[in-house]
Amino acid sequence: MLIDWFTVIAQIINFLVLVYLLKRFLYGPIIKAMDKRQEKIALRLKEARKKKEEAGQEAELFLQKNRKFDARHEEMLFQIKKEVEAAKAELIKEARSRVDADMDRWYGAIRKEKETFLQDIRKRVARHTCAIVGRAIKDLSNADLENRITSIFIERLQNIDKNEREALAQAVQHSTEGIKVNSSFEIPGESAKKIAQLLQNLTTDPVDVRFEILPELICGIEVKLHGRKISWNIADYLESFEESMRATIEASG
Amino acid sequence: MHITPDSIILFQLGPVSLNATILFTWCIMALMTVGSWLVTRKLSSTTRLSRWQNLLEVLVTGIRDEIREISGQDPGRYLSFVGTLFLFIAVSNLLSIIPGYTPPTGSLSTTTALAVCVFIAVPIYGITQKGLAYFKQYAKPSLLMLPFNIIGEVSRTIALAMRLFGNIMSGTIIAAILLSIAPLIFPVIMQAFGLLIGLIQAYIFAILAMVYIAAGSRVRQNKIDASLQNKKGEV
Repeated sequence: MLIDWFTVIAQIINFLVLVYLLKRFLYGPIIKAMDKRQEKIALRLKEARKKKEEAGQEAELFLQKNRKFDARHEEMLFQIKKEVEAAKAELIKEARSRVDADMDRWYGAIRKEKETFLQDIRKRVARHTCAIVGRAIKDLSNADLENRITSIFIERLQNIDKNEREALAQAVQHSTEGIKVNSSFEIPGESAKKIAQLLQNLTTDPVDVRFEILPELICGIEVKLHGRKISWNIADYLESFEESMRATIEASG
Repeated sequence: MHITPDSIILFQLGPVSLNATILFTWCIMALMTVGSWLVTRKLSSTTRLSRWQNLLEVLVTGIRDEIREISGQDPGRYLSFVGTLFLFIAVSNLLSIIPGYTPPTGSLSTTTALAVCVFIAVPIYGITQKGLAYFKQYAKPSLLMLPFNIIGEVSRTIALAMRLFGNIMSGTIIAAILLSIAPLIFPVIMQAFGLLIGLIQAYIFAILAMVYIAAGSRVRQNKIDASLQNKKGEV
């Protein structure tokens, strides 16, 4: 007989004991550990999801902040650019005004210098011309010319208009030092008398007429009365010549 | 030469005899229990675990998945029984590689004991699941079928015991015979085959036990029948 019933019973008991032992030492602990691990993993996954969400939120927040920062940065940059442009424009304006002022000053200085130079030239030219002309006239002058000058002066005295005459008369009256007749040459006695007579005619009061020789007059006669002057001399002509000369120089300069 | 390790009597006291079957069964029990205890005394519930724990977890998970697939129920209540059946038979068969060892599953007493356990477990699980209504299924489709159902129940239990016994015993016998005929290469090949057959038989025994239990609990009847057919076809 292949079946030993005692062994069968013993094996049944053995098997049941083994079932208990394995349940106690194998299935129970192993399943518990696996469940625990599963729980832990689930928890970790949950945490990871939570952290991911948080990270996502933080990233979104950070992105928003970044965008704001960028916008602010752009705005500030724009503002700064604007301010810099304004400051630049201001500085350029200031520099330009300074340059303009400097230029004006320089132009003024140059103009002044030019003026001075021209005046100097003019003076020199006039002086030299006048000197040359004066010398020439002096060299050429003789009694006839002097007489002619004297007669022209007398003629002018005679032909002064009424207003001028009244002004002269007033000047003569206010004059305390008398009337001084300057000439570049000695006026002949006849003519001197005539001149004295004509001057006396201006007023009823006696007039002290004195004749003086002034070589600077260059072939001329003049009467100076309290700011009034009646004259004929080459110097006047030379003066107008000098004027026209100056105009010519300026036009060419 | 012993056909069954029952005949190797180590100690006898009246009707109580300690034979090789019982001794090797105790050895296997001790080995499995101590092994399990050694591994499970410091289990890790983190993602870093020892190789042995990993092996046991793979085994337990595999058995649970298989039970879940067959029964369509939570494997918790069946795991201890079906899992122990599989592990005991598998370990018992695999250890046959050790010289001098005779697998207890090569004893008809052991396989009968296991088949009896299954025979008893089926109604227990069925009653637990359905109450006394479990017994109604023996009278289905009609009362006339009652004796046939009972005969079927008994015969499949006997088949269960005989199949395992025959396979393992034949493996041991073939190995022994081959050793005497061609002692060099063939026995090794047959031993290797023996290991494979041993593992397959453990699987078949456990699966059939599970199928019977599941059929007894009549949950998802169609699926269970289908899987039963499939498993039989595979065998």
